[in-house]
Amino acid sequence: MNVSSPAFTEFRHSLANLAGNPQETGMSDDERLARARSTFIAKLNRRTAVDMETCIHCGMCAEACHFYIATEDERYTPAYKIDPLRRFYRREVSPLRLLYRPITRKMDLDELKEWSELVYEACTGCGRCDMMCPMGINISEGINIMREGLAAAGLVPDELNALQAEQRQSNSLFGVGAAELKAVAAELAQHGTMLPLDKESADILVLTTAVEVRLFPEAIAACAKVMEKSGADWTISTEAFEASNLGLITGDKTALRAAFKRVSAKAKEIGAATVIVPESGHAYQALRWESANALGEELAFEVLAISEYIARTIKAGSLKLKPATEIKSVTYHDPCRLGRQGGVFDEPREALQAMGLDLRETASNRRENLCCGGGCGEYAISHGAPIRQKAFELKKHELDDTQADAVVTGCNNCRINLMIGAEETGWDMPVVSLVETVASNLAE
Amino acid sequence: MRKDQNLGEYLRTQGVSRRGFLKFCSATASLMALPPSAVAQVAEALASARRPSVIWLSFQECTGCTESLTRSHAPTVESLIFDAISLDYHHTLQVASGEGAEEARHAAMEENDGEYLLVVDGSIPLGNPGYSTIAGISNLDMLKDTAKGAAAVIAVGTCAAFGGIPQAFPNPTGAVSVSDIITDKPIINVSGCPPIPVVITGVLAHFLTFGTIPELDHLGRPTAFFGQTIHDRCYRRPFYERGQFAHTFDDEGARKGWCLYELGCKGPTSYNACATVKWNEGTSFPIGSGHGCLGCSEPGFWDHGSFYKPISAGLWGSKETLLGAAAAGAALGIGSAMAARARKNKAIKESEADSS
Amino acid sequence: MTLLDFARGPALQWSLIILVTGIIWRIVGALLLSSRKDLSVARRKSGLNDGLGAIATRSLPAHTFEKRIRFQHVTGYAWHLALFVTVLFFGPHILFFESLLGFSWPALPNGIVLFSAAVALAILIALLIRRANHPVQKLISNADDYISVILCILPLLTGILAFAHIGGRYETLLAIHLLSIEALFIWFPFGKLMHSAMTFPARFQAGTSFGRKGIKA
Repeated sequence: MNVSSPAFTEFRHSLANLAGNPQETGMSDDERLARARSTFIAKLNRRTAVDMETCIHCGMCAEACHFYIATEDERYTPAYKIDPLRRFYRREVSPLRLLYRPITRKMDLDELKEWSELVYEACTGCGRCDMMCPMGINISEGINIMREGLAAAGLVPDELNALQAEQRQSNSLFGVGAAELKAVAAELAQHGTMLPLDKESADILVLTTAVEVRLFPEAIAACAKVMEKSGADWTISTEAFEASNLGLITGDKTALRAAFKRVSAKAKEIGAATVIVPESGHAYQALRWESANALGEELAFEVLAISEYIARTIKAGSLKLKPATEIKSVTYHDPCRLGRQGGVFDEPREALQAMGLDLRETASNRRENLCCGGGCGEYAISHGAPIRQKAFELKKHELDDTQADAVVTGCNNCRINLMIGAEETGWDMPVVSLVETVASNLAE
Repeated sequence: MRKDQNLGEYLRTQGVSRRGFLKFCSATASLMALPPSAVAQVAEALASARRPSVIWLSFQECTGCTESLTRSHAPTVESLIFDAISLDYHHTLQVASGEGAEEARHAAMEENDGEYLLVVDGSIPLGNPGYSTIAGISNLDMLKDTAKGAAAVIAVGTCAAFGGIPQAFPNPTGAVSVSDIITDKPIINVSGCPPIPVVITGVLAHFLTFGTIPELDHLGRPTAFFGQTIHDRCYRRPFYERGQFAHTFDDEGARKGWCLYELGCKGPTSYNACATVKWNEGTSFPIGSGHGCLGCSEPGFWDHGSFYKPISAGLWGSKETLLGAAAAGAALGIGSAMAARARKNKAIKESEADSS
Repeated sequence: MTLLDFARGPALQWSLIILVTGIIWRIVGALLLSSRKDLSVARRKSGLNDGLGAIATRSLPAHTFEKRIRFQHVTGYAWHLALFVTVLFFGPHILFFESLLGFSWPALPNGIVLFSAAVALAILIALLIRRANHPVQKLISNADDYISVILCILPLLTGILAFAHIGGRYETLLAIHLLSIEALFIWFPFGKLMHSAMTFPARFQAGTSFGRKGIKA
């Protein structure tokens, strides 16, 4: 897949039209506000309370945020993005609320509307600021709560709203449902890659995403090759293949839970002990770290990112790679939700090194890696394009400095955003997927 | 000394040379921080001063002030100054007693109405007039009565000036200072427990010289003697600046004569001339003997906490109260957290209902 | 009662009562809020090490971020260090603590303390000016930020004046110095100065929650 392919052009076109017909929520202003308030109260807990109590307004978090660094717009300071939540906390939840109440003002809807731009467009939830905060405050958690409150108040940007509504109503994204997956499977079969769809029982349930079906079928094929080569008993379910979870992005709990339930039930049904998440950072974060909490019970299966599976099977000896020939040096872009929010740093690097690639780290890497600029559904929001582009320049600069032959990443979202940036700026560093690179260098 | 004789004439009849007199005048002038050019004025004024009548009243006091005064290194010219005034009434020093004594007071008051000096030592009890009486007259009545015709009042000693030890907590007699009662006369406070003798005589000298009361600080004390702190003039001050302190009365610092701040010295907050004039013919003063200043010339000096408590230390520290405060804080914290939890559970139910 | 007696007595008493009550109220009230057990399977067991590790490492220079935050870092270090030296190692201060706590420790020479007080004061003034002018800090600042800085400046300023006996009688300067600290005590539990206590649980929980995901916080 490259930026000049028709599929990519078409995908970008469909992104541009996502907001086409915004839906009316039918909520009164009072109702919106009440829902945001009760969401905030429901979500603020001890951890967030300690965080809110500790912020000293030093503003250092701004220096971690790609949007602030790229634009120097002070409104993009992470602490400012969660300011309404902090003020709400202080007035409504904090231990000293009785003292604060007479001297603070009530949260209002205008404020929330104003902040919608800041938490959806001007924040990818990448959590780089969490790593910088001298007080150890988890700012991205505050962003999540802000998003949940705004979602409850029906203040989600139209694009994300449209995507979420689609997932909620028809269990599809970008128009990709079971039929589309089956069509891709048929096409891949013609090229010799068989997808074991809908097996009645399997050890491993492999997920994919609508974006892969539509944009990166090679990634699905690559995944299939890796699974076959490693000798796994696996399947993809046409009923529960979608790993993306818009609920996590928008903050809609119901959507979040419904998507988890589908996967969880399917894994149980076929007796899978392992569920593999494709190259999607947020899908990994959602299923690996959030789903059990959203469902209120521990998962009955293990969740692995495909890169974790690859590293594990390489170590076990069931997957053997040969030295890569097409490219000699690579740099690895840590997707935020896989890396500093997921804990997967070493596995992708181990896989790259197993192919004898010269791994060159960017100036910021691992837990401090600079965001691609388009995560957390950000790339779908048209209005945010200008600042996204500026943030991309930062990323581009760091990537160029490595002088690597290609940038490898483990997340579709990063990949798409880097490709969009490349198309806009005429940047020519190849953006490649980890699983595709591994699949094309399997030892015979 | 005859009443119509002036001081100069009198001193000469007493065998005090002009030279000796001038020496006293220059000492007095320098003590009062007057310029050298004022010595001549002091000499002239003192030499020609008419013996004023002085009435000395002693109320709730220990006679320490009088002791101090009489121990002034006699026979010197200071004591002659006392001969030079007409001390018409003083319990301790006067020969007359009983009704004769009181008669002397009344006679002096009548004869010098509006011109006599009233010196008071000791505080005045307001709690019960019977706490302290002289010839059956309560201190309060005697003070009011005697002050009426006085030109000025000199409150000698901390008791008269500020209430002193009798006024110390819990002040059982309801003791007050002279200035708490007399408000329509010039009052000079010569505080100290006791005051330095030359300070008392110096104030008198000033009055004799200029016929006015000297410049006073906000507590009514002559700034010439009370303008600077003991600390400002202390010979141990360099050790304070260097942070060298005696920690106990027998440690190395104490032996080396380091600063006594940590041992509770009140020098930094005490205004008096001890460090310059010193005591016992300029021999020494408390800090010179290795003990911190008690701050005896300051109001309420008995109630500023222990004499051995450093002035930067708090005067309050109750672990029990602070534990109580902590318990109250914990109760408030628990209460607010419980209320927040209840509200949160309700909100969770609401938002579940909203989104289903 | 003189001003100094008031400052050393009742004002100290009530400010300490408010200080202690407020601090405990705020800490207990925050730490007792509900928190849900994380049901996801930890990558590795996390605990004390991760928590304490984060407490330590969040004070260290921040690697790749460092060049962008050098000013804050240098001033932050210098300010806190100068504050600790001034507050904890000035002889008369130790006497004050001894009167409250019942034990003491050795003091540093006055010259060092005076220098550190001047440094602390200069940094705070610089930070106050920066807060009022830097676009980011200006935007995110509230009254608390300004009140807290000013209430920290006052004891330093009055302390230096009292030490040097400049601008008034010593007992007045000392009383004002004490009162300025008491004002700080009273404000302390209600403003952002509480970070001095809250930063420990905040960093600790960052350490453990990232630690269970296998991430060094």
